[in-house]
Amino acid sequence: MPLEWLNPYHLQVASFMLINAILGVSIYVTLSTGQLSLGNAGFMSIGAYAAALLSTQHQVPIPVGIVAGSFLAGAAGILVGIPSLRLSGVYLAIATLGFGEVLRAVLINWESLTGGAVGVAAIPQMGRVILAWASDRGFSPGSLGLQNNQFISLTVFLILLLCTLLTVAFFLRLSRSRVGRAYAAIRLDESAAEAAGIPITYYKVLAFSQGALLSGLAGALFAHSTSFVSPADFTYHRAVEILVFAVFGGSEHIFGPVFGAAFLTVVPEALRSISDYRYILYGLLLVLMMVFRPQGVIDPPLLRRFRRSSEGTPA
Amino acid sequence: MKRKERLFAVLACALFAFVFMGAEKANKAAKPKGEPIRAKIGVISIITGAGASYGEAITNGFKLALDEVNAKGDVNIDLKIEDSTGKAEQALSAAQKLINSDQVVAILGPTLSTEMKVVAPEANASGVPIMGTSTTAQGITQIGKFVFRNSLPESQAIPASVGKAVKKYNIKKVALLYGNDDVFTKSGFDTMKEVAEKLKLKIVTIETFQKGQADYKAQLTKIASLKPDAVFCSALYNEGGVILAQARKMGLKVPFVGGNGFNSPKVIEIAQEAAEGLIVATPWFGEKNDPKVRAFVAKYEKAYGKKPDQFAAQAYDAFHIMANALKAAGSADRSKLRDALAATRNFQGVLGEFSFDAERDVVMAPNVLIVKGGKFTLFN
Amino acid sequence: MFLEQLINGITLGSIYSIVALGYTLVFGVLGIINMAHGEIFMFGAFVGLLIVSKAGAPLPVAFLGAIVVTASMGLLLERFALRPLRTRPGASHLASLISTIGVSILLENLAHKIFGSGNHLFETPFAEISFKIGPVTVYLVQVLILLISLLLMAGLALWLSRTRAGKALRATAENLETAGLLGVDTNRMITATVVIASAMGGVAGVLVGMAFNYINNQIGLSMGLKGLAIIIFGGMGSVYGAMAGGLILGLSETFVVAYGSSGYRDAIAFVAIIVILLIRPQGLFGQAPAEARR
Repeated sequence: MPLEWLNPYHLQVASFMLINAILGVSIYVTLSTGQLSLGNAGFMSIGAYAAALLSTQHQVPIPVGIVAGSFLAGAAGILVGIPSLRLSGVYLAIATLGFGEVLRAVLINWESLTGGAVGVAAIPQMGRVILAWASDRGFSPGSLGLQNNQFISLTVFLILLLCTLLTVAFFLRLSRSRVGRAYAAIRLDESAAEAAGIPITYYKVLAFSQGALLSGLAGALFAHSTSFVSPADFTYHRAVEILVFAVFGGSEHIFGPVFGAAFLTVVPEALRSISDYRYILYGLLLVLMMVFRPQGVIDPPLLRRFRRSSEGTPA
Repeated sequence: MKRKERLFAVLACALFAFVFMGAEKANKAAKPKGEPIRAKIGVISIITGAGASYGEAITNGFKLALDEVNAKGDVNIDLKIEDSTGKAEQALSAAQKLINSDQVVAILGPTLSTEMKVVAPEANASGVPIMGTSTTAQGITQIGKFVFRNSLPESQAIPASVGKAVKKYNIKKVALLYGNDDVFTKSGFDTMKEVAEKLKLKIVTIETFQKGQADYKAQLTKIASLKPDAVFCSALYNEGGVILAQARKMGLKVPFVGGNGFNSPKVIEIAQEAAEGLIVATPWFGEKNDPKVRAFVAKYEKAYGKKPDQFAAQAYDAFHIMANALKAAGSADRSKLRDALAATRNFQGVLGEFSFDAERDVVMAPNVLIVKGGKFTLFN
Repeated sequence: MFLEQLINGITLGSIYSIVALGYTLVFGVLGIINMAHGEIFMFGAFVGLLIVSKAGAPLPVAFLGAIVVTASMGLLLERFALRPLRTRPGASHLASLISTIGVSILLENLAHKIFGSGNHLFETPFAEISFKIGPVTVYLVQVLILLISLLLMAGLALWLSRTRAGKALRATAENLETAGLLGVDTNRMITATVVIASAMGGVAGVLVGMAFNYINNQIGLSMGLKGLAIIIFGGMGSVYGAMAGGLILGLSETFVVAYGSSGYRDAIAFVAIIVILLIRPQGLFGQAPAEARR
């Protein structure tokens, strides 16, 4: 049976949706300790460039490059996170924003490593690599009723789906663990949490570097799905976009930013005709959300109600 | 209150689902015998966002050529235009849509080199011929055998203008100035530096600027103090015009030499008298005394109320090259069209004579122009 | 070359200072960062351009027009994006930061819709007046910009420390509720602050147009980010810090280009804030440690 309905275009949009969802979770994790980081575009660029350069210049296998890129971003998160502990609220936001801008200047100017504004091209794309590997072993996508490009898009989508599900599952569990409760306590009242014996330094740096690591993961996956990265991918506007995911979707539960990222990726794609007004709408959205629903579309009470109503009705 | 909130959530989810399921239109290309060859061609361009002025000129050029081609009757082309907003991800989604949902036979565009580097590998892997009309960075057509372009890369434009200017003004010492955060201007700079070294010119300094910068005085003061014979400037017209104006105002009067990106009537609009003496190299020369060029300019002005720039001209020629190849291929088949495109030689367009080389890149002789009396004229 | 670069640096630095004064005033009173300040400044520049270049009116009219428009924008910003957050119990400082980021994105793209994306020529005969000191050409605009920035700084400092309104403002800054109980109309004071800060942004916008002759819809973002860096560097809420920080940044950006590499020019501001936050988080002129405000 040919799977003609499996359209690579839809899979492509879904793939970007998943990458954005990981980015949404990355800002949510740091926010869950009450820290606002605007440096996630910067951490994303670390993951993207590390993965891209490792695979194009050092022939490192893709999964190794992705893991290395994520952990490099996470390590950078610790380095930025420790001094940033002295800062809070707006100071932290501005300092991390500055970090992102400095990083972009480094990407542009360190030409011998990054290629400058020209970027890194011909990064192996996950789906194509897997197809080539499978073809060498006598596999043909036709045997599954798939065209080559369908197979490529489908593998990319499935890999991203796996990464996103693992990420969400991990942080969902984390939020119910000791760590998650510590995060929540710090977010509610830092002094009280400290008085209660929670090592807030440790947990704040942990949250910060977890967010950085996730941004790096998203960046590395981005590099291996688009096969090209350049500093133009990681501007201030990217940082704001990531922030919008969390603010719109909601930053009190992990499903919030995931929903925000998915929704805000798909809607502009479907309404291409209004894309002219996309950023104007983003701006309005930020103000309106802050005024009318600062916790975002999805918050714990809403989720509880959904759960209850689905339990109440027989399937 | 509770009901309202739930309604809101349900609505949001419904919209979400609707949007994702919707917009599915599978079309099969029909091909009756004896009739004109019917083909669907996709266009990826910047319709909205910061680069929309480029995209507008490009799609105008396509539409003008489309009417001519369809009126002739050998081929009948259906144009599908998608917006990339200048972003690589959006361009990739648009390409996937054109390739898979619309089943186009070929793609024209996208506008920027950064977009092309993301889109071209995908088109190439799917076996869809793709031709850039404004992508001038290095290494584009080398991506794969389905990737073409008809836009003259800066690596061919800049040697022409620099070579002529050096000879005419007896230039020995130069200062280089370029935008380091843009692929186009950075590629242009790499060529400039190479050419300057080859001609054994002394490079007194290399300065950079960033997109949208307002104040170039620090760089220009430094350049002026080093007293070069000329400034080689790799910039797009928007920043280039301001640089020229600020340079002339502070008394830096030496010739400025640029590439294709500096070539636009807009430069004169922005810099006014300060644009005098600017030297650029470009395949497009709107004042050329050639019936083809004059007819195109007249037609374009009538349709859109302004003079065509290089982007419109390049798009116009690209469409005709595509239509000719389609006719030669005999049917709307992606592989046959690719082979016919690759065989294009000595095409006579408004940009002059055009051929693809073995790597599907441009073979064309650029004109070198200088701004004189408020307009571009041939530089001899 | 040194003297010319010194003048370039002072001109750039004075403009940075005026932009930063707008930030510092709002932060000093409200304890929030108005991320939309840069975009309000950009609108001021465009209004000035329309009046001077398109309508051909004299410069004072341009300043007046820019002030009126940006002051009204400040009024709207306070009324619709800040006040609703203030009355909501338990709203964090992040809410106002995010809300003003929203306004800035909105305004930047609105300007793109209204004015287009390219550079616009800001033409005024006043910008052509120059005189020579030895071998160096100085434009009257450059002197004017320095003077206006110094005047604004001195005026603000005096107003805050000496006048009744200034005292009420500082009382509001100290404690909103107590000031209210003591009979200060805090809503009015806060509105006045945002309006005055925005009007200063408008003045800075026209000055930028005169100094560089060109404006585009991106200058709000780049100048805004620099202004932010300056107030952190100089000390949040400090008038002198904004002035000194602006001049230091303008001069160092210029001299990095003159004697170093122009590639990192835009990064200096952010390297400076990262360094200062590590060694002196309250900034050069700040008094309270960072922890005190949150």
